[in-house]
Amino acid sequence: MKTRARLPRLVACGATLALALTLTACGDGDGGASADDGKIHVLVYGDATNKVEKQLVDTFNKTSDVKVVLDTIPGADYQKKLQTIISTPQAPDVFFNWGGGSIKPFVKAGLLMPLDDFIKKDPGLESNFLPSVFNNAVVDGKPYGIPMRGTQPVLLFHNKAVLDKAGVQPPKTWDELLDAVGKLKDEGVTPIALGGGDVWPTQMWFQYLFDRIAGPELFAKAVGGDKSAWESADSKKALNMIRELVDAGAFGKNYDSVKYTNGGSVQLVASGKAGFELMGSWYYSQQLTDHKEFAEKDLGYTAFPTVAGGKGDPGNVAGNTNNYYSVMKKTKHPEAVAEFLKLMYSDEFVKAQLDIGNLPTTTNTDKFIETTGNAEYSRFQYDLVADAPSFQLSWDQAYPQKASSDLHKAIQQFFNGQLDTDGFVKAMQALPTE
Amino acid sequence: MTTQITSARPAAGPRKGSRRRPPASSATTVGRPGFAWALPAAVFFALFAITPLIMVAVLSFMSWDGLSSPEFVGMDNWSRLMDDPVMVKSIWLTLLLTVLGVVVQTPLSIVLGVWAAGYQRNRAVLSVIYFIPLLLSATAVSVLWRALLDPNFGIPADAAWLFGDGNLFGEQATAIGVLAFVSTWQFTPFHTLIYQGAARAVPHVLYQAAEIDGAGRYRQFFHITLPQLRNAMITSMILMIVGGLTTFETVLILTQGGPGTDTTISAYYMYDKAFKSFDYGTGSAIALVLVVAATIISLIVVRVSGYDKMRSSMEGVS
Amino acid sequence: MRRRPNYLAGAGSLFWLFLVGLPLYVMLAATLRTRQDYAENGPVSLPDSLTLDNYTGAFDSGFGQYFVNTLVVTACVIGIVVLLVPPLAYAIVRSRGRTTSAIFRLFLLGLAIPAQAVIVPMFYLISEAGLYDNLLGVILPTAAFCLPMSALILSGAMRDISPELYEAMAMDGATPRRMFFQLVLPLSRGGLSTIVVFSALQAWNGFLFPLVLTQSDSTKVVTLGLYNFQTEHGIDIPGLLGAVVLSMVPILLVYLFARRALVQGLMGVGGK
Repeated sequence: MKTRARLPRLVACGATLALALTLTACGDGDGGASADDGKIHVLVYGDATNKVEKQLVDTFNKTSDVKVVLDTIPGADYQKKLQTIISTPQAPDVFFNWGGGSIKPFVKAGLLMPLDDFIKKDPGLESNFLPSVFNNAVVDGKPYGIPMRGTQPVLLFHNKAVLDKAGVQPPKTWDELLDAVGKLKDEGVTPIALGGGDVWPTQMWFQYLFDRIAGPELFAKAVGGDKSAWESADSKKALNMIRELVDAGAFGKNYDSVKYTNGGSVQLVASGKAGFELMGSWYYSQQLTDHKEFAEKDLGYTAFPTVAGGKGDPGNVAGNTNNYYSVMKKTKHPEAVAEFLKLMYSDEFVKAQLDIGNLPTTTNTDKFIETTGNAEYSRFQYDLVADAPSFQLSWDQAYPQKASSDLHKAIQQFFNGQLDTDGFVKAMQALPTE
Repeated sequence: MTTQITSARPAAGPRKGSRRRPPASSATTVGRPGFAWALPAAVFFALFAITPLIMVAVLSFMSWDGLSSPEFVGMDNWSRLMDDPVMVKSIWLTLLLTVLGVVVQTPLSIVLGVWAAGYQRNRAVLSVIYFIPLLLSATAVSVLWRALLDPNFGIPADAAWLFGDGNLFGEQATAIGVLAFVSTWQFTPFHTLIYQGAARAVPHVLYQAAEIDGAGRYRQFFHITLPQLRNAMITSMILMIVGGLTTFETVLILTQGGPGTDTTISAYYMYDKAFKSFDYGTGSAIALVLVVAATIISLIVVRVSGYDKMRSSMEGVS
Repeated sequence: MRRRPNYLAGAGSLFWLFLVGLPLYVMLAATLRTRQDYAENGPVSLPDSLTLDNYTGAFDSGFGQYFVNTLVVTACVIGIVVLLVPPLAYAIVRSRGRTTSAIFRLFLLGLAIPAQAVIVPMFYLISEAGLYDNLLGVILPTAAFCLPMSALILSGAMRDISPELYEAMAMDGATPRRMFFQLVLPLSRGGLSTIVVFSALQAWNGFLFPLVLTQSDSTKVVTLGLYNFQTEHGIDIPGLLGAVVLSMVPILLVYLFARRALVQGLMGVGGK
């Protein structure tokens, strides 16, 4: 048998390799983040837009004596991994986050550096950003984050051809939306595509309806610890409207099996099998990559419809306010970190972000918008955000991270009918708020 | 490698000379290795598997979010778990999926294994394809099936007579079905391999004798093949049970425990508690429940089957 | 061997072939299609475009480095397993001491420890040892979790070595060490190749340990690369599957090469 002769050699090779590699692996202990090596470690959410962060790090390292090292963690695990390493020596000096609830536990644990001192030395670190965005990283009255990357408001996208065929105009009010749902159903298409399998797309409907009906105060109260907010009449009204929309068949029947993240819901809209999709502003570039022809010709977008009699300002938006860099108290190079953060409102940063389709929230963004590839779309978003009286941060990011799993369960279960209104209210009241 | 190891440990006496040395006085210990042979592996295993396991046990009595320092809270985590409906549900779901796995995969892999044990050339070729799922990581398998089962653009869209509106991931029964199916798809090849090996080891004499007695194919299968596969069955079932109790990536990628908590099996609930809610204490308690459950079940199977006696009975022969 | 063809088993095996073949076809076909073709026509349709971009794309995003890392991890895990398990299995099968039997039980229990159950303390152990974000930090726990299964497989194979052979050698006055090298190792070759394949699979497809215990690009393994690829490229399924297929190639080669030995190992090669 051939294997007889081969195997011992295979085994021997393996063992020798193992020994050799064990030795070399022990020798080079420089991999990754270590406690202090005279460098600043910046930890960022790993995705396609990392190239801008890399570019800025290179720019910074050209002139600075203290070098910045960029570390990334793939998106889905970013938050988990961050929380695992943040209180160990492997913690970075500066890290990416979503502001709001995502940094609150770290502030409470005394890990973060308040940025007042940086701002005192360079007021530009505050004044160069849109206030509604900057304020989302203020915890207990102190700023803990400098905006980076861009803002991502949630918009209502539609397939123009499908809407035309059904004789529907992009809806400006809730009633028009309900009307459109009926007409699209008659045409045999799913009125609204929804990636319910991911749950966070479902959450967007809650965010907007609660904001339109009760204004941002209700959610702010609830997340601040006043759990009675969920029992209020406005809360129940919003829930009833969601129920009504689902029961009208607006999302079809199999939305919980559809995902946004595997391209399912995107394709539904592009192929004309669905009319609308509520999604973050990144949707446009997603459609452009996946369905270029459709995106250029038939993809339309509007702000979320207004709701008659609602207390919320119709100009309010919801979504990912922005991303932020926060600074660890333990950093050995605060001056260098401050210099690095100043790059976040530089012209170079703004241009690079706009080039990859992100929309930075600096005050100088305005003057560069017209130079971008899709100025009309960028302009629409920028004006929407700049004019918004309130920007509702995504619920799962406004709550502390530890609440997000139960929050998602409650949202999915209410939406598909497993929980009734009271059940949902109870589930939301059980969420930890700090 | 052989020479390296021997030279590393100086031999007790001249190797050539030892050949003719008469046997030592005590017959039972002659030529038997001491426990020192097992020690390196045991120490290594203790260091990297048992130590963390003990730490898990300690953590299950603590409250810890990874940020502040851990605090002892006595039985708090445990009593909360007892009253947690999701935990109770997750145990039932875990058992259900495990039982489903054993019930579906065992007959399937026995039949396939016995079939593949034949020596015809086409079987060899087909077998190569059969076993490919074994080579894919759970991550890859789950990503693949999620795409294939998409309600609008996957198989369900083209086979509405079978899948209805294709809401496979939106209802408990179908979501569990999908999980059981994907596990079957992924792990049946491995178990088939076990049975194929065992089926080939069945002495041909038994079949020849049966044919002389005029026993048909199916009688041969039930009266000769199956009983001969007993040990393979035990091994395979233990692995299925342990695998079922610890299924994780499949749930993480295919259903995320949903809809709601309808496919939240214990291993996923542990992950959910530890890494999504950062309640490492409760997560550790669930982990411990899983380890204990898997251990008890394995021990029962081993005892009932007499697997651990196998050694002593064989030793008796010598 | 048998006269009549077995139609029932044949039909069953054809059905299984379909079940296994269809997804594999879809996967291979998808990797040869453009993203737009896949998005518009769905996974089950015939491709109307042909491209190798999905493979080159995978290489461009750093898979070369990931392959090297995975190879290192796999080789080391195999090395550790092959060094530690044969003496262990030999002791399990041949030793009569209580300690050995306790150790065997320890490993039987070890079968039931899911890796994810110990992942939190594991992070602290590895981090304390200064091995965080170092391939060695992935290798050690991965190898440790290969041990119970490998011990079970190999002791199964060694158990089939007939007692008469030991006795004959004992008559000759052979030491345990000589029996191990001259009798046990040669006769459990099949079992050895099985544990090599088993631990190679574990190491190659390992996900959780690398996920938690490494961080930078220089220590990324292929499975993490796949995972990363998914987040970095959004919903590029053909690209993702291209990376999946690439990640499979080396282990497929090992499998084709060692399949005979694998099956024989499970049979217990020394039995006859």
